[in-house]
Amino acid sequence: MPPDFWRRLTGTRTREPSRALTLTAPDRESIDLASYLPARLRKLDTLPERAAPLDAQTRVEVARGMNRGAGVLAGSVLFDSAIEHYRGGFHNPAMFFPLVSSTLSIIASASGVGDNTPSVRRERHVAYAAAAATGFAGLAFHAYNVGKRTGGFSWTNVFYGAPLGAPAALVLSGLLGVAAERVRDAAPGQRPRLYGMPESRAIAAVTSAGLAGTAAEAALLHFRGAFQDPFMYLPVTIPPVTAAMMAAVAVDGRPRKRPVTRFLLRLTAFLGFAGTGFHIIGVHRNMGGWKNWTQNIQNGPPIPAPPSFTGLALAGLSVLKMLERSRRE
Amino acid sequence: MATDDGMTAPRAVSGQAPDVFRRGAWVPMRQYPDSEEVDFVIVGTGAGGGTLACKLAEHGFSVVAMDAGPYWRPLEDFASDEAEQQKLYWRDERIVDGDNPIDMGGNNSGKSVGGSTVHFAMVSLRFRPEWFKARTKLGYAVDWPIDWREMWHYYTEVEQALAISGPVSYPWGPHRPRYPRRPHPMSAAGEFLASSAEKMGIGWSSTPIATLSAPRGLAPPCVYRGFCVIGCSTNAKQSVLNTWLPRALDANAEIRDLAMVSRIEMGSRGLATGVHYYRDGRWRFQKAKNVVVAGYAVETPRLLLNSACAQFPDGLANSSGLVGKNLMPQSNHGVYGLVDQEIRWYKAPPSLSITEHWNYTDTGKDFFGGYAYMSQGPLPTAWAGSLTSSRGLWGEKLVREMEKYNHQVGLKIVGEVLPQEKNQVTLTDEKDAYGIPIPRITFSYGENDKRLYEHAVRFMSQQMEVGGARDLFVESDTAHLGGTAKMGDDPRTSVVNADCRSWDIPNLWVCDGSVFPTVGGVNPSLTIQAIACRTGDRIAEMARRGELTRRTTPA
Repeated sequence: MPPDFWRRLTGTRTREPSRALTLTAPDRESIDLASYLPARLRKLDTLPERAAPLDAQTRVEVARGMNRGAGVLAGSVLFDSAIEHYRGGFHNPAMFFPLVSSTLSIIASASGVGDNTPSVRRERHVAYAAAAATGFAGLAFHAYNVGKRTGGFSWTNVFYGAPLGAPAALVLSGLLGVAAERVRDAAPGQRPRLYGMPESRAIAAVTSAGLAGTAAEAALLHFRGAFQDPFMYLPVTIPPVTAAMMAAVAVDGRPRKRPVTRFLLRLTAFLGFAGTGFHIIGVHRNMGGWKNWTQNIQNGPPIPAPPSFTGLALAGLSVLKMLERSRRE
Repeated sequence: MATDDGMTAPRAVSGQAPDVFRRGAWVPMRQYPDSEEVDFVIVGTGAGGGTLACKLAEHGFSVVAMDAGPYWRPLEDFASDEAEQQKLYWRDERIVDGDNPIDMGGNNSGKSVGGSTVHFAMVSLRFRPEWFKARTKLGYAVDWPIDWREMWHYYTEVEQALAISGPVSYPWGPHRPRYPRRPHPMSAAGEFLASSAEKMGIGWSSTPIATLSAPRGLAPPCVYRGFCVIGCSTNAKQSVLNTWLPRALDANAEIRDLAMVSRIEMGSRGLATGVHYYRDGRWRFQKAKNVVVAGYAVETPRLLLNSACAQFPDGLANSSGLVGKNLMPQSNHGVYGLVDQEIRWYKAPPSLSITEHWNYTDTGKDFFGGYAYMSQGPLPTAWAGSLTSSRGLWGEKLVREMEKYNHQVGLKIVGEVLPQEKNQVTLTDEKDAYGIPIPRITFSYGENDKRLYEHAVRFMSQQMEVGGARDLFVESDTAHLGGTAKMGDDPRTSVVNADCRSWDIPNLWVCDGSVFPTVGGVNPSLTIQAIACRTGDRIAEMARRGELTRRTTPA
C-alpha cells in the first residue's frame, strides 16, 4: 500500500483539484478499478471524454443525485445487514461493521443531498471510502463463510451461507459516493476522469455492473425460492436490460438524450420499491404471517434488499443528466 | 357440535369436508348415496388410495374414498406432543410372530385420511432403475412388470404434485428433472452425515423431501419445527391430506372419514359389487362398479382374505395363493453416538442428508439389494424408547443418558428385504372391535437380509467413528411394508397385473405398497404414489377403449 494511500483515498488532495483528478500511478494501484482489469480492458484508461465540460451548478445537481443513490444503497445495507446479522447472532464482532459503515454512508449521503455548494467535504469522502472498504472486506468474509462449509461452494451453501453478493451493495454505495464527491469537486471547465475513465462513463460502468450484480443476487435467491411467484422474475429480467443499456452508455459516452434508458432506469427504481412491497407480502406467507413478525421478518424474503435497485437506478439517472446537460453546451 | 376432535364423529358429512388449510373451516364436497353405483370405491386414502382418488376423479370418474381414520385439520389438530400424536398411527390389535416380530403401529402404519403420509418423514426417493428388473439385471428376487422409464415419468408427476424440495442435481442414477423446490438448509444432524461421508470418500446429498422450502398456495414453507414424524402442524409437509385430496375434492370425489371397510361383496357374475363399511354407528353398503383396495401391506390382504365367499373360498384375488405372502418390511437399523459439538437433532426434518452409495454400488457387497441411510433426529420420547429398548437403560442411568440428547447423532438405513413366501399376513380366529378377524403378521429375516444390515451397521459404525462420534450403539428396527399383493406378468405368480388390476376379478384393484414385488433400499411413498398415478392414467385409458368391463386374464 503506498504511503499516501489513505490521504489519496479520502480525497485530501482535492484541495489541489488539478492534481487530484489526474491520478498518479500509486493511486491506480490502490483504488483504480481499471488497473485490476485485463490489459485489453485497461485501454479504458485512454477512453476519450465525449461530453463537454459541465457547469458547477449541474455538477452539484448530479452529485446530489448520486449521493441520493449512494444513500438508498446504504439504507438498504443498513436494514438488511441489521436483520441478517441479528439473525446470525452477531456471531463475529465484525458483523457490526456494515451497520456502522452504512450508517456513516447514510449520514454522508444526507449531507451531500443537502449540500448545494460545489465544495467537497472530507468527512463524506472518508465515510464513502470506508463503506467501499467495509463492503470489500464483507465480500471476502462471506466467501470465506461459504467456502468453509461442508461441500464448499455448493448450491446449498451458496443459498444458505452468508450471501456472497450482499456486501457488494455497500461497495457500490461507497464507490458512487466517492464518485459523487469527485463530480462535485471538479473545477469548472474541466472534464475529470474517474477510476481511470471519463467520469460519466465510469459511473455508468459502475451502475451497470452494480445492476447486473444485484440482478444476479436476486436470481440466485429467487432460484432458491423456486420462482414460486411469477413476479419473482421481474428483478431478473428488467434490471439486466437496464444494466446492458448502462453498459452501452459507458461504451458510447456521447452526450445525447436516451429516453429508453431513462425509462428503464425509472422502471428499475420503481421495481426496487415494488420489491419491498412484494417481500412484505412474502413475509406474510410464512407460518403465522405478520402476527409472527419477529420470526418471519428474519425468515421471509429480505424486505430491505430490493431498494438496492433503486439506489443504482438513481445513480444511473444522474449519469444521464450529466450527459444531457453537457450536450447543451 | 359438542366434541369435534375428528375421532368421535365423522367430519366429512353434509356436503362438506374439513378445510385442511384453515382453522375450523370447511370446503364443499360432492356426496354420493350408498345406493348409487359409483365408478370407484377406494378403501384407504394414503399414498396409494388418496393419490388414485385424485387421479380418477380428475379423469371424470365418480369416486368415493373411505378411510378408517379421522379427517384432520393440521393447523389445529396436531399438537407438539409425542404422546398426543400417537393418534396418527394404526394401533388396532395385531398378532406379530416369526423370528423377528415386526413392531407395528408406528413408522409402518397410519390411521388418518391421508394415511401414513400424515406422519411420514417426507423422504421422497426414486427407485434405482435396475431394481425394476432386479432378477434380470442384478440377479436376485423378481422383476417388476413396469419399465423404469415409465416410472421415471410418473415419479416426475408426483414430485411436481408434492413440490418436492431437493438438490439442484441429484448425484445418483440417471438424469431426473429438477426438483420443483430447492433443498432446505442443512441441519447439524444432516451436516454430520455429510462431513463424515466426505471423510469416508463416499457421496452424499441433500435429501429430496416433501416439505416446502418456499411458499405454495396457502401452505407456508417449513419452519424447521422438527415434529415432522408426528404430524406437521403448519402444512409445510406435503402429505396426501393437503395435496392430492384437496384436488380430489375439487374434482368431485367424496372422502368418507372414520369409515372402516370389513368386506368386499361379490356378485353373481364374478365381479365385486361394493363394500360393507362401518361409519357413524352403523354398518352400511356402498355400491360400486369397481373396488380399489389401498389399505397397505397388512390391511389390504386382511380385507381380501376376509372377503372370502363361496366362489372365492381362499379370499379374493387369491388364485395364486399369494395374497398376504411375501411381506417385506425394510430393515431400519441405526447406529447412534455422541459428539462434542451441540447438534440439537430434533430441529428440522430429521433426514435432511442422505447417502445412496450402497444402493448404486454393486462391488464390495456380500449381499443382494441395497440400502440408503439418512441423518436422524428422534424426538425425546422416541429417543428414551431407543435407550430403554436397545441399551436397557432405566432410572438414573436413563436420565443421565437423556441429558446428552442435544449431542447425539445417528445414521439409520432403509434397507432392502428380499421377498419370502413364509413372511406373511394371515387371519386369526380372534375378532377386533368391528368383528373383523385380527391379522397375524409373521416375519423372519432371511440370510441375505441379515448380511445386508450387518454390512450397513459395520459401515455406518466406521463412518460414525471417522466423523468423531463415540459411545456408539446399534438399534435394530424395521420400517415400511410391502409385498402382500404383488404385481407381475403371470397370474400364477402374482396377485395383480402392472395396472394394479386383480387377475381374478377384473373390477377389483389393489393400489398401495402391497403390490411391490421388491421394496428396494429407499422409502416407498414416492413409488407408491407414482404407481397410483400410473394406475389412474391406465384406468382412464382402458375406459376409453371400453376395457374396464372386460376380463384381462390371458386366455
